[in-house]
Amino acid sequence: MNITKEKINGFCVLKIEGRIDTTNFNSFEKEISGIISSGETKIVFNCKNMSYISSSGLRVFLVAQKKMMAINGKLNLCEMQPTIKEIFDISGFSSIFKIFGTQEQALE
Amino acid sequence: MEELIIITNRVDQLPALAEKIEELSEKWNLPMPLTMNLNLVLEEAVSNIIFYGYPDKNEHTIKISVSLLNQEIEVEIEDEGIPFDPTSMKQPDVNLPAEERPIGGLGIFLIFKIMDHVNYKREQGKNILTLKKKIQS
Repeated sequence: MNITKEKINGFCVLKIEGRIDTTNFNSFEKEISGIISSGETKIVFNCKNMSYISSSGLRVFLVAQKKMMAINGKLNLCEMQPTIKEIFDISGFSSIFKIFGTQEQALE
Repeated sequence: MEELIIITNRVDQLPALAEKIEELSEKWNLPMPLTMNLNLVLEEAVSNIIFYGYPDKNEHTIKISVSLLNQEIEVEIEDEGIPFDPTSMKQPDVNLPAEERPIGGLGIFLIFKIMDHVNYKREQGKNILTLKKKIQS
């Protein structure tokens, strides 16, 4: 798992690469929590290169969304692989998150 | 065709398990989405055993057999941990809004949603979880 951070149009864009699973969700959660508590109110997760997610990773996504909602912030997801999108659909996460086809759309 | 994978109840065994499944999938020519889903259900089931199965925290083995027969994948996970029947778990309500969604509880649910067939039995002090999924061509 690797996360790169970029600022575009007032959004903090995080490119998430690789696997998010039981072995690394703790460091993923730390990183995301750090970014949210640093005061970012508009965040995009670009999931183009996210290759795998298990329930431990989904948990971190949900925690992040709850935190963003509590501060009236925005958390948009984009460019998700179809196999990952399917996991989001099954889990009911597709209705909890705004998921966009392109990063450009997610930045609106 | 059948493969037996033996690991111990440590989180650091999970990457090796995922690698074994990738190897098997290549050997058996399984479609990529199925490989990912197999990895996912195995991670969910096995990490549950690792985290909750052995309160003594000692080292124990977990046996995983994966077989392919008549276009169907069968996974059998066997452990000697405390009795745990995933089929008796309450399923989460996936229609709740984010504010009301509890954190966690999705792992077992994903196993049920992804696999066609889930069976649990307790036999001679062992938990035996059998998961089956047809391969869609």
